[in-house]
Amino acid sequence: MAGFKKEKPSARANYPKLHASDPLAGFDAATREKVSEMETYIMKNCLWQFNSRGWDRRKQNEGILGKTAQLLVGEEVQNETPLDKCYWVDAVLLSRAFREHCVWLAGMGKDEVLALLKILHARIDWLTIDGSLNEELTVQNY
Amino acid sequence: MPHHEFDCSKVIPERKQHAVVKGEGEDLTSCLPKGYLNTIPGSISERGCAYCGAKHVIGTPMKDVIHISHGPVGCTYDTWQTKRYISDNNNFQLKYTFATDVKEKHIVFGAESLLKQNIHEAFDAFPEIKRMTIYQTCATALIGDDINAVADEVMAERPDVDIFVCNSPGFAGPSQSGGHHKINIAWLNQKVGTVEPEITSDYVINYVGEYNIQGDQEVMQDYFKRMGIQVLSTFTGNGSYDELRGMHRAHLNVLECARSAEYICDELRARYGIPRLDIDGFGFKALGDSLRKIGLFFGIEDRAEAIIAAETARWKPELDFYAARLQGKRVCLWPGGSKLWHWANAIQEEMGVKVVSVYTKFGHQGDMEKGIARAGVGTLAIDDPNELEGQEALLRLKPDVIFTGKRPGEVAKKMRVPYLNAHAYHNGPYKGFEGWVRFARDIYNAVYSPMHQLSGIDISKDDYATDKGFVTRRMLSDATLPEADRASPLTGYTGKFDPIAALRAKTEADYPEFARKTSTQAAE
Repeated sequence: MAGFKKEKPSARANYPKLHASDPLAGFDAATREKVSEMETYIMKNCLWQFNSRGWDRRKQNEGILGKTAQLLVGEEVQNETPLDKCYWVDAVLLSRAFREHCVWLAGMGKDEVLALLKILHARIDWLTIDGSLNEELTVQNY
Repeated sequence: MPHHEFDCSKVIPERKQHAVVKGEGEDLTSCLPKGYLNTIPGSISERGCAYCGAKHVIGTPMKDVIHISHGPVGCTYDTWQTKRYISDNNNFQLKYTFATDVKEKHIVFGAESLLKQNIHEAFDAFPEIKRMTIYQTCATALIGDDINAVADEVMAERPDVDIFVCNSPGFAGPSQSGGHHKINIAWLNQKVGTVEPEITSDYVINYVGEYNIQGDQEVMQDYFKRMGIQVLSTFTGNGSYDELRGMHRAHLNVLECARSAEYICDELRARYGIPRLDIDGFGFKALGDSLRKIGLFFGIEDRAEAIIAAETARWKPELDFYAARLQGKRVCLWPGGSKLWHWANAIQEEMGVKVVSVYTKFGHQGDMEKGIARAGVGTLAIDDPNELEGQEALLRLKPDVIFTGKRPGEVAKKMRVPYLNAHAYHNGPYKGFEGWVRFARDIYNAVYSPMHQLSGIDISKDDYATDKGFVTRRMLSDATLPEADRASPLTGYTGKFDPIAALRAKTEADYPEFARKTSTQAAE
């Protein structure tokens, strides 16, 4: 099927670390509060952030949170492959939930929303990949 | 790291790494026990072996198959029908189990001829069954029996049969989870792609990691069919051997139990580009969102919404009846693997209970990540607990009910903690909207059954009232209920004892007929 490149197990297991510490730590209390609300919703209700390997989580987080940001600011989302469409499906549900639970999003500008989602993305990467205590994330095979 | 050390395990200091208490402000970067490691010597684990994980959990739910264990008869007995993965072919795979009955002389002289003889006998005894799965065990693995060679010989002699060899002896991993992995990959390598399935819908899924416990698969399949979705195969509950050989033609893998079956989904994604969509079939919100996601993927979300609206209107009031009476009840959520995260948030949000502990017998750290993320502050999370730790936790946490397997469940009952079977259920199915109400009903009955109060009385010694009649569960559950809830006309579960019979009675005419897309539409 189109759109899926098979990678060598050893290459994908050696993914680079993006964050050496909690990326949320340096932000003001209001930003932390907003990110925390969104993070709590994801952690309580979603499963996509917990695929078993770190490299896979990186793709999941990027695919779903990237498309969620696009949906929240009204950008058109391109789904060129079935895998893209799968990310989009979770992004649609997440963007709807954010609009419902995080009502303050409605009062934010496009750039502010994108910036906030970038911080959220970094925080989820930190929790599930870079700061994770899960010792199986770097196993080469599934 | 907020590790928790059990008093009973102070003599096994390594165990401290396997239990944590989620504290205020803790997250997954500071609070996660070790997991999926070899059981520490001296700790009497409740785990199963890798053979059990391959055969009992994943292989045997396949319904139209002779499942034969190549090994001592005890291995087979231990994995026979103790989990209620029913099937719509009169439960063939539950009723019959097969073993080669290997004994000491076979260990000395080899057991391949014994295996071949048994295969022929089994096919002769059940001539309508043409498919077989052979499971390796510790004994025959250690003597080096070549099961594949024997299977090839038989298939050459009987061209109408097909045999799958599962090489997952008991020692092939720290727990049953090692066997899940082995059978996932073996099935993919040996069988997927060897049958070309008939495609009857524009929307085709494999339903993966679903084992039809008391009919779960049949409930979900009914929803999918009402949406016009073809379930090409179910891996493996109520699943057909030949349908599972055609998994490579699905458009989407819908994954329920990631613990036991993510491997085949991930490899189907890598080898065939079929995406993996994780879902939760438990709980009104989670199930609704799951159906929506599948609907969205195929562009038929309206069909999902129609089902969600109808089912919610029918069953939500009955769920609310139980939720009003279960508020604050303390739960130890101690299943095998995936249910610790499937249920952790949904039972708290929708039934009002409080999860005070999660544990997993064979889960990995990834399962604990999901479980701890979904549990609240103060939750005690334990990996691979031993029986003494379980008892110590029950004494400390004083739960109102425990959801676990039958072995620790019996221990809990002796400690007068009501227990619900988290693996095989009490009165399931528990999946689906109706199933979630059945689960709430079972929790309610467990918590409020007067039997538990009576069981605490030693009539030879204790003072007990002789002038009072038998209390009912309603008297117990409604005593402190707010007046509004007591006056509410809501009732508990009103469904049938067996909700699956009606689903099996349905014909194609009972499902909506949706027009197939034209080739131009499909290309778009």
